[in-house]
Amino acid sequence: MKQIQMTKNSSFSLISTKKIIQMNDVWTSYDSKNFALEGINMSIDRGTNYAIVGQSGSGKSTLLKLLNGMMIPSKGTIKVDYVTPNMNDKKFKKMMHTIGYIPQSLGLIKNVTVIENILIGALPRLNKIQSMFKKFPENEIKEAKRILKLVGLSGKENRKAYMLSGGEKRRVAIARALMQKPTILLADEIVSELDHVTAREIMDLIADAQKRMNLTAIMVHHDMQLALEYANRVAVIKDGQKILEIGVEGDTIVDFQTGNMTTEEIKEMYANDSQK
Amino acid sequence: MTPKNNIVIGIIIALLVVASYNVDANPVEFVEGLPNLAIVIEEMLVVEPKYIPTAIWAMFETIQMAFIGTVVGVAIALPLSMLAARNLNNKYVYAPIRALLAAIRTFPSILWAILFVIMVGLGPFAGVLAIIMYTIGFVAKLQYEAIETIDSDPMDAVSSIGVSKWQLIRYVVIPESASHLLSQMLYMFDYNVRQTSILGLVGAGGIGFYIINYIKFFEYGKAAVFMLIVLITVLIIDWVSVKIRDKYIIKSQHGMEVATQ
Repeated sequence: MKQIQMTKNSSFSLISTKKIIQMNDVWTSYDSKNFALEGINMSIDRGTNYAIVGQSGSGKSTLLKLLNGMMIPSKGTIKVDYVTPNMNDKKFKKMMHTIGYIPQSLGLIKNVTVIENILIGALPRLNKIQSMFKKFPENEIKEAKRILKLVGLSGKENRKAYMLSGGEKRRVAIARALMQKPTILLADEIVSELDHVTAREIMDLIADAQKRMNLTAIMVHHDMQLALEYANRVAVIKDGQKILEIGVEGDTIVDFQTGNMTTEEIKEMYANDSQK
Repeated sequence: MTPKNNIVIGIIIALLVVASYNVDANPVEFVEGLPNLAIVIEEMLVVEPKYIPTAIWAMFETIQMAFIGTVVGVAIALPLSMLAARNLNNKYVYAPIRALLAAIRTFPSILWAILFVIMVGLGPFAGVLAIIMYTIGFVAKLQYEAIETIDSDPMDAVSSIGVSKWQLIRYVVIPESASHLLSQMLYMFDYNVRQTSILGLVGAGGIGFYIINYIKFFEYGKAAVFMLIVLITVLIIDWVSVKIRDKYIIKSQHGMEVATQ
């Protein structure tokens, strides 16, 4: 079996030029007065590991909710695989199963077993009536067990979700998302509360799954260092605005937003930021 | 004590006096009536043990009535609670269902029992129907309130996968609110056993039918046997409920490992 390694997925040449996500001048608000996001432009290539970094309340989570159709923008256009995300739209509803979403709180069903939590990812593929009786086809159960092994939870399939540790819960949430056979993975600060070692184990797991399944991962982070370690591109959000977008290649950091900042300047900026 | 507090207390006392006068609440009559209570207690203490088997059988009938009423009532209340939850439906669905449930709750079980005695005649079946109606009204309300307090994150996470509404209910709403439902079922069964004991007063079967008849004919000793059986049964049910609650509800709600021994 392929070893899971901590790698810096840095090769720009591996990325397809096909855009999977496009946001043009997107504005959104919760209360029609204050904007949570202001004029966001974003273009993400298929297969990218894209990180969104910012402080609490900067609008990072809102951005993910716009991408999975849970929120709709007040202004501007969003295309996810050429479809406008909106949970009430039939066309988008058909492709929702291809977007794995892991909220910050993970959204596990605490009173059911690990395997049942994972199998939820297969629900859109199943016969609606059969699924009412929790009857899962043999191939789906096999697939769930395969993913369970992939995320390192073999033998814990019958544990109730609330019995798991923080790291294990994150693995279950990732497994549920992978069970969807997604093309896009949206993850909202899923490692922010973990210790350094566990956080990197979880990030390695996602990096590995991303390579295996050619996923486009869009991950919200609090920690710039972690984002630089794993992402190809990093967008920095501050007060609802994208203030910087950088690409990472080896030790070189490229300013994609304006093209004006040098690697040293960007590094210095984040050194200053982290001291604040 | 501030002057404001004194005024409030004064108003409460004044209202108490006025209300007591209006309902003929006379403490003197109460004191004068105490010897009558003593007579009743004295007669009740002459327990007639030969009625114990009849009392146990009547209690068994009462428990069965409460059991059917609770199970059927909960089975009907559950889908209604799903339709009445604001986080699962739009107002055109939940508003009429809530109005219906409020109307059902307006009548206490004894009024439902009178209505069903008229409909289906005297006997336990009328009592069962009354208990079902009462259970529907209350469990549906408690359950839709429980559903509305479910953590929105699992709902959002699973909705975003693109599941159907019924799949969302089956895989998120029911498991997430199951401990509340079990708690409500236990409470309702406990309550229904006590309620069913009273429904006999209007001829709707159960142990209450015996109690009211013995009291009517001043046979307090016999009535005492039946009342004692009700008391013991309610205490046992209460004890069992606490055990079940401790084992399956409290622990799971607090995220503790449920004992498997």
